[in-house]
Amino acid sequence: MLDNTPLVLGNETFSSITDHISSITERKAPKQWYLLLALASSLALVLFGMIGYLFWEGTGIWGIQNPVGWGWAIVNFVFWVGIGHAGTLISAILFLLRQKWRTSINRFAEAMTLFAVLAAGIFPAIHVGRVWVVYYMFPLPNQMQMWPNFRSPLLWDVFAVGTYFTVSLLFWFTGLVPDLATYRDRAKTKIKKMVFGILSLGWRGGNRQWKHYEMTYLLLAGLSTPLVLSVHSVVSTDFATSVIPGWHTTIFPPYFVAGAIFSGFAMVMTLAIIARKIYGLEHLITMKHLDNMNKIILLTGMIVGFSYGMEFFIAWYSGNPYEQFAFVNRAFGPYAWAYWIMVSCNVLIPQLFWSRKIRRSIPAMFIISIFVNIGMWFERFVIVVTSLSRDFLPSAWDYFTPTIYDIGMFIGSFGLFFTLFLLFVRFLPMISMSEVKGVLPQADPHYYDHEHDTRKGGQHV
Amino acid sequence: MSMKKELKGKDYWRSLDQLAETDEFKSFLNREFPENASEMTNPVSRRKFLSLMGASIAFAGLAGCRKPVEKIVPYVNAPENIKPGIANYYATSMPFGLDAQGLLVESHEGRPTKVEGNDKHPWTNGKSNAWIQASILGLYDPDRSKAVLQDGVEKQWEDFVEHWRQIYFKFRETKGQGLVVLSESFASPTLFRLYEAFKKQFPAAQWYAYDPISDENIYEGIRLATGSNYHPIYEYDKANVILSLGADFLLTETGSVRANQGFTAARKVESSNDTMNRLYVVENSFTITGGMADHRMRLENRYIPDVLVALTQRLKKSGLKVDSMLVPPYSPVIQVDEQWLNAVADDLMKNKRQSIILAGRNQPSWVHALTLALNQALGNLDKTIVLKPIKDTLIGDHQQLKTLVQTMHNGQVDTLFILGGNPVYNSPVDLSFSSALKNVRKAIHLSTHVDETSKQVQWHIPLTHYLENWSDTRSMDGTMSVTQPLIAPLFGAHSLPEVLELMTTGNNKRGYEVVRETWKSRTGLNDFEKKWNRILHDGLLTNSAVAKAKVSIDKDSLSAYLKNITHSEDLPDIDNMEVDFAVSPAVYDGRYANNGWLQEMPDPVTKMAWDNAILLSPKAAEALGVVSQDVVKLTYKKQTLEMPVLIMPGQADYSVVVPLGYGRNAAGRIGDGVGVNTYLLRHSDGPYTDMGLTIEKTTKTYTLANTQDHWSMEDRPLVREATLEEFKKHPKFAAEMVEHPPLKSLWEEHSYDEGYQWGMTIDLNACTGCNACVIACQSENNIPIVGKEQVAKGREMHWIRLDRYFSGDIDDPEMVYQPVACQHCENAPCEQVCPVAATVHDEEGLNVMTYNRCIGTRYCSNNCPYKVRRFNFFNYTNDMSEVIQMAQNPDVTVRSRGVMEKCTFCVQRISEAKIRAKNEERKVRDGEIVTACQQACPANAIAFGDINDSESVVSKMKNLDRNYTMLAELNVQTRNTFLAKLRNPNPELEKA
Repeated sequence: MLDNTPLVLGNETFSSITDHISSITERKAPKQWYLLLALASSLALVLFGMIGYLFWEGTGIWGIQNPVGWGWAIVNFVFWVGIGHAGTLISAILFLLRQKWRTSINRFAEAMTLFAVLAAGIFPAIHVGRVWVVYYMFPLPNQMQMWPNFRSPLLWDVFAVGTYFTVSLLFWFTGLVPDLATYRDRAKTKIKKMVFGILSLGWRGGNRQWKHYEMTYLLLAGLSTPLVLSVHSVVSTDFATSVIPGWHTTIFPPYFVAGAIFSGFAMVMTLAIIARKIYGLEHLITMKHLDNMNKIILLTGMIVGFSYGMEFFIAWYSGNPYEQFAFVNRAFGPYAWAYWIMVSCNVLIPQLFWSRKIRRSIPAMFIISIFVNIGMWFERFVIVVTSLSRDFLPSAWDYFTPTIYDIGMFIGSFGLFFTLFLLFVRFLPMISMSEVKGVLPQADPHYYDHEHDTRKGGQHV
Repeated sequence: MSMKKELKGKDYWRSLDQLAETDEFKSFLNREFPENASEMTNPVSRRKFLSLMGASIAFAGLAGCRKPVEKIVPYVNAPENIKPGIANYYATSMPFGLDAQGLLVESHEGRPTKVEGNDKHPWTNGKSNAWIQASILGLYDPDRSKAVLQDGVEKQWEDFVEHWRQIYFKFRETKGQGLVVLSESFASPTLFRLYEAFKKQFPAAQWYAYDPISDENIYEGIRLATGSNYHPIYEYDKANVILSLGADFLLTETGSVRANQGFTAARKVESSNDTMNRLYVVENSFTITGGMADHRMRLENRYIPDVLVALTQRLKKSGLKVDSMLVPPYSPVIQVDEQWLNAVADDLMKNKRQSIILAGRNQPSWVHALTLALNQALGNLDKTIVLKPIKDTLIGDHQQLKTLVQTMHNGQVDTLFILGGNPVYNSPVDLSFSSALKNVRKAIHLSTHVDETSKQVQWHIPLTHYLENWSDTRSMDGTMSVTQPLIAPLFGAHSLPEVLELMTTGNNKRGYEVVRETWKSRTGLNDFEKKWNRILHDGLLTNSAVAKAKVSIDKDSLSAYLKNITHSEDLPDIDNMEVDFAVSPAVYDGRYANNGWLQEMPDPVTKMAWDNAILLSPKAAEALGVVSQDVVKLTYKKQTLEMPVLIMPGQADYSVVVPLGYGRNAAGRIGDGVGVNTYLLRHSDGPYTDMGLTIEKTTKTYTLANTQDHWSMEDRPLVREATLEEFKKHPKFAAEMVEHPPLKSLWEEHSYDEGYQWGMTIDLNACTGCNACVIACQSENNIPIVGKEQVAKGREMHWIRLDRYFSGDIDDPEMVYQPVACQHCENAPCEQVCPVAATVHDEEGLNVMTYNRCIGTRYCSNNCPYKVRRFNFFNYTNDMSEVIQMAQNPDVTVRSRGVMEKCTFCVQRISEAKIRAKNEERKVRDGEIVTACQQACPANAIAFGDINDSESVVSKMKNLDRNYTMLAELNVQTRNTFLAKLRNPNPELEKA
């Protein structure tokens, strides 16, 4: 970051930050919160209701068929796992790269990751035909002495997503500990005291505790970083290791990771803009943060665009007629509409971020972030459905049409995600108080330290 | 690649599902088909509906063993005891109109489960077709009639016997005045004996026979030419050149099972020195016969006689001795392509005594007569065509029905016996049979179901299925067989011989005695029991085929008839279309409407299931401004009918195919309301094909369930095809058609070189696309039916499917078939991706499914390049009624919801043979294991066996030059390979 814009505006002090962020959970929730929760939890109920019906009736309630054996459930899975990338990326990779502007957004980005991975995890579990034996997927000792098939990418998914979720949860929780201790100290009721007391794990803010804490945080950041890259790489092998034209592509791992970061940032953006407006956090989540995120969206959007182009190039260059057909079919076949929605939303629309004015316009970036989310959902739809619907034997080709249950469960998964997210902003500090304090000028008084006098902020490392 | 121009189908086919969303469609459904409308909006209701099959019947004790009371003799295994778990096989025969098929029926603990051809039967040689295969399901149809009904009130059989005896004596006095019988055609010694006895007992009584689909024109033609009735028997294996004038002899014409065998035998090309026959087909709409043609000419039925006349004149010019009296004074309306005529005529002249000309049953009788005369002139008679005297056979026709209805209208019928058949449903609309029936004092209907006719009669008697009664049959070649029951009548029904015996003598005898009486007179009383046992064991009376007749053409009478032939000036065009009432390859004339397997069987040509639609050529559709799935209004002789349209490539432009057999309303829970009843358009004076149909577009549309949406092969080398000449020049063309890198693995693959290694070949040059394998597989492997909605969604469950592709010009393409089941890849993509190892490889190279382990991720299906895996999206089998469960094969697991399934190479048959071989301390012999598809295939296209044994048939097939692997470049190492298709075009026509 070459510009010297302060990361926190409005002359905040340590105590004003504590007051400001803690008070969000301490005072009565705004009316909008209740409205949003009512809406989100109703949608979540739709999801669970439909899951109940799915278990009762069978996967036939969806539009899936032969040859399109995977439909919206898997599209949603990949979509949500992708969303779940930004949190850990912001927390871990930007942390390791000393990108201090991350501090105000990392907490809820991480929370978003967890909830997105939760929403994602539902789909592969419920999409199986016999959900009551889904535990066959796990390497549990059993009387049949049967292991799962370690050659199957679906099994790799179980491990990759499971690990990612666990580490993300630990990382998020570790980062929460100092703030939970603050909440404990400010708690008025007995229950709050107890709950936050247990959760804060006896944090006293001592020197040694900070030392251990920061080492743990650093290690977890180091541990999470490869996971950010690995989880979507593994998810992409579901497709890349298959023989189906349009899936069987070596570009998938980096392409999926870039796409995931792209969509994750877009989702963070959508949420951050709403949260900052509702809770008046403009001085913490500043235009600088938003600008930086927009730049990442622009960059990853172009990586994704490059991948789209590269897929076409390789299809042509490989000389494989099935591959060539698969890509021509994507762009000009019966699902061309989906393909062009994807290209418009993911490649063309983010180009507007070249303009500094648009990058710094709240309404523009909000709309663009929504478009990116739509585009990235369609990317997964295009990959999963169009490739399956027309593969090797034209006799088997068929057109996939979703049913009300496909659509309902997708919308319902947003309900689940937002319900969890709303509960999070209500009960936990959505901005990391301790870390934001660390980037205040006050945190780096540089008394007689001439080497660092050009720096405005510093951090405990 | 031999595939010519690719066939882009964008404008004439479209996705069904897309259509289902339009408003017109929804409103159409709600207006016109309220029942269907609710089914279409609720994806599971149809399935529930199917699963309800039989739920309403009380079935106390029915699922147990029901051994027939009389002595029956098993065919292969010792009859002393039924060993649990070990099937017995009994020989029997299935009557089918004028023909009969020799069968061997598998029975588990007294419960027949699978119908197979009887190898010993000289007429069908152990082969079968889809109708034979599906007949087992008809036995267990829970909608079958269960009680004698008098005016709709349940009665006992004894009540009817008592009732009949009262009037019997009255009729005996009047010699049967006012007593009339309407039967179907039959070929049966016992039925014919009783028929004659009846006529003797009641000389004043009338007996009429009628079938909606009959060969009346063929027999009338033969009568015109020879003066009496003969069965024409075609020896296809002896013919080098075959010209079919609208005859679909490989599927819908009588005797097609045998035709498939002979025809494909003459097309077996093993090396580049072999020859093959050449088939010319002239037809109005694509049939599987047209698909096999080396030269196909599409032409309205109206013009087909013109081709024959032009050919006759041309042959005469080439020096063939055709009596000039036999050339009709009739000049063809159309100019038949000169080059085509010359080529065919030359071919026929070059192959005298080795060619066949035959015409379809919808051609007028004089065409058949002239065809026979031509065949005689070409020296084919007694060589490739044999005429056999007809014995023990009654042939029905429309004229008889017309006479009967006239008598009924005149009030001259006191008591009408309707023995089988369903005339209220399937008689021509102009006869108004239903209202004629009101003039009959008493009508008695013998029928398997309480059908449309049963509902309008005073007495309804339940009729037995052929697997539960004693009867007998004669095949077209004259071979006599006994139909012996595999099970006692499930619903207390009575057989035709029993009812006829009662009608004739007033005695209530058992069918067993009635049939034995016939056979005693036929075989003599000497050693009768021994002979009888032999007949039951073999399923036929050895050497009972009728000797061929010495026939000469009666030139005078024929020429006198031909002189009066004039062609009408009524020519087909867009405002005056030709209507072709076609028999359905699925439900036949409607009799199989309640058979779920046949309803769900995709039509071999259109690939449509669960419906009938009129077939229009792309040109006609364009002129009318309609596309597939539009509903049109048909008007023909003042009758109107609304029906959906399906556009078919290769259809003659002004000919419209109107399939019969659908739109039943008293067929049962499966068949009711499926499709449109086209008998409501049919007239008795043009029942097969006629002019004068007009078509009007309506604003409605209707969803058709098609199992194959895409009709082009997209230039992919899937079905590989060459001409015989190309093959001779380049025998390995098929294997070398695709260039790919060397198929090497990164690691050492399992070698699969020990013990048995199962493999299969499918000869695309033999496969005619008849669907016998599809239904045989369904029967053997307990494959559920899923209903129209599920089929429309692409969820049909067939383990083997027939891929049909068109190539070339959309108006006049070529058609090819490719049966695709699991290819049993050694390096299977499905196995690698299954997270729970539910699909794995066994040591013998089979790709096996472990249903108990499967959790249903469907990843295997996604990764299958051949898309042969089938998923149980719902629980298609759980609610199956008890009676349908009896049709299930106990050797095959019934799959529940959420598991994947697919072809197993009939692993249960492999295991059975291996156990038997092990007990006998030997290796499994080649040919000992026959898969269900292979067994049914009348074209002998499928070979199966141990590829580790270089002497096995399948190994030899795999060593043929034509052998190739579909998608070999994926290095999946399939165990199933294909033998490339060949065509044998006439070089004279190829030059064009």
